[in-house]
Amino acid sequence: MVALVLADLKMMARNRQAIFWALFFPLMLVVVFGLFDFNGVGAADVAVIDKSGGPRAEIFLERLDGIEFLELEFDEDDPAKAREKITDGDLGYLIVIPEMFDDPAAQAQATGPAPVTLVYSTRNPDRNQLVDGAIRNLVSDIHSDGGPIVPAQLLTADVIQASEVDYFDNVLIGLLGLGIMTNSIISIAVRISTFRNLSILKRLLVTPLPIWKFFAAEITAHVLLALVQAGIILALGVFVFGGHVNGNLIWVLAVTALGSVVFLNIGFILSAWAKSPAAASGMGNAVALPMMFLSGTFFSTAALPWILPELSLALPLTPMLAALRDIAIDSEPIWETWPYLAALGGWVVATALAAVKVFKFG
Amino acid sequence: MEPAVQVENLVKRFGSFTAVDGVTFSVERGEVFGILGPNGAGKTTTLEIIESLQKPTEGRVSVLGLEVQSNAAKVKARIGVQLQASAYYGYLDLTEILNLLGSFYPNKTPPKALLEQVGLADKSGSRISELSGGQAQRFAVAASLVNNPELVILDEPTTGLDPQARRNLWSLIREVNQRGVTVVLTTHYMDEAEILCNRLAIMDHGKILALDSPQNLINQLEASYTVKLTMDKPMTTAQLGSLNGGVEVVQSRELSREPGEQEKQAEDDAVSENTYLLRLANSPSALRGMLDEIAKAGLGLENLQITPVTLEDVFLELTGTELRD
Repeated sequence: MVALVLADLKMMARNRQAIFWALFFPLMLVVVFGLFDFNGVGAADVAVIDKSGGPRAEIFLERLDGIEFLELEFDEDDPAKAREKITDGDLGYLIVIPEMFDDPAAQAQATGPAPVTLVYSTRNPDRNQLVDGAIRNLVSDIHSDGGPIVPAQLLTADVIQASEVDYFDNVLIGLLGLGIMTNSIISIAVRISTFRNLSILKRLLVTPLPIWKFFAAEITAHVLLALVQAGIILALGVFVFGGHVNGNLIWVLAVTALGSVVFLNIGFILSAWAKSPAAASGMGNAVALPMMFLSGTFFSTAALPWILPELSLALPLTPMLAALRDIAIDSEPIWETWPYLAALGGWVVATALAAVKVFKFG
Repeated sequence: MEPAVQVENLVKRFGSFTAVDGVTFSVERGEVFGILGPNGAGKTTTLEIIESLQKPTEGRVSVLGLEVQSNAAKVKARIGVQLQASAYYGYLDLTEILNLLGSFYPNKTPPKALLEQVGLADKSGSRISELSGGQAQRFAVAASLVNNPELVILDEPTTGLDPQARRNLWSLIREVNQRGVTVVLTTHYMDEAEILCNRLAIMDHGKILALDSPQNLINQLEASYTVKLTMDKPMTTAQLGSLNGGVEVVQSRELSREPGEQEKQAEDDAVSENTYLLRLANSPSALRGMLDEIAKAGLGLENLQITPVTLEDVFLELTGTELRD
């Protein structure tokens, strides 16, 4: 079987055109998404907790409201909860106006914390700089208007160290899943269909090679190829476009391999129905493209209309991407993603049984 | 020693179509055994059952003393097979393909020796797409020898080859056989069957119509000669019938052709129109009688060829038709 795996790998490496196009699509998308500036300075959502309630605080709020790129929210009154939201990336900023805000003299003598607290995470440094500067200037202005005594420190920046995550990181993992899915399905479907048309499968059947070894060799070679592809996609995303893989890369590759087996099995199933390599390619695309849109490759499945979010749960790419994102982005250990792995495992078994049932050699 | 192949009452049905209909034969060790028949005769299906690629509907097949159905892997390890339409991996060179195929067997012959044997040593680094049709077929034979088999099954090994390439392949098959390898081959070429095979089964519509050595099959015919007549104008059915007096069998190509085929057939045979094939017994009076009838009818004879009967005539006798391509 080792000879067959090596021969498979050799053939794949020599079929340079197929390799190029298999990688081209996901890599092109990585480039496109990488060139977009998803993290540009946009509107900043700011929760405000006013503990003072005095006239000076009111003027502060009024002028704060006048700063165009700030979107103020007043629903939050628990600083701890607001901090949690910032940590999770659900809120950009928190401004806490202290009780002593309307008494600069008291503030000046106080040894406690600074008068206004601005809380933010390290997630978006460019925007942080802008927001920090704008609020610092505003506090300074307000105190200057109020009299000669100003607090020793106008503003305390309370910076939360967040793991580096942005939209591109999510998309990068989506593209990894997309690349592995499309290549695994289409590559094996076209390859087997070609082998069948050329009677290569029949030629193998007249040798004493056990059938399971043929399948095992094909899957092993393709999974190894999928891991190389995963490495190239992630390397381009991280080293060229500044994406991040925070979690354990070995686990990322392990989930990639498991997902690849599911899609290879789907490829085997399609090859049984395809009468020609061209038909196999078309069928592969017809299966892969809907999954690309429904399984959260580029955006959250929660944004899908109607019953599509529920439908997406029934697709194998969805648990693969969920597990990959939990590991790669949220640094979770692989065992924490067991529900997704169990779903993928179920897909491996179900698709393998279906492939064995429908596969044809002649 | 058990025969190389023993086939008993073999039947293979695909739905209502019977591809092989009660075939029985055996192949002795060391012989070249041919199955001759047109496309659709059931030759390939019979071979595929021997190779354990298909299961028989009825009957029993044993190869090298082993029941094929229950010993498929053991049988496969000891035989070599060249399929009718078999391609090989396009991205591997000849040596790599032979190495890969050899890895499936317990004992294998080194690729270099195989390629030398089939005269492709200088192509060892080439891919299949770089070979000519004849070279590709020779490679297919080499691939069937990769496990040093006791029996080689070749399904139409020379189909589509030019005459020179066919002759090269015949030499190769003879060499393989001379080393003690039993050869079973199918063909729809009469000359190939006659030249290569020790024994021959003529098959049509799923049945074996005759089985013997090519010479014995020919000797079974009552007629000994084929006469090809080219007339100056078409003969009527009545005129042809009148020739029957001294001629044992009369077959008119002219009359048996479909109207649309006439031109193509004439081209294929490199004969002009108004040409007729007749068979006659080995008797001077038969020939004289035929020429007398022609003269009596006032017909002009443009050309006359007399040749000994061949397997083609045997086939014609057995099936009532010429060999279909």
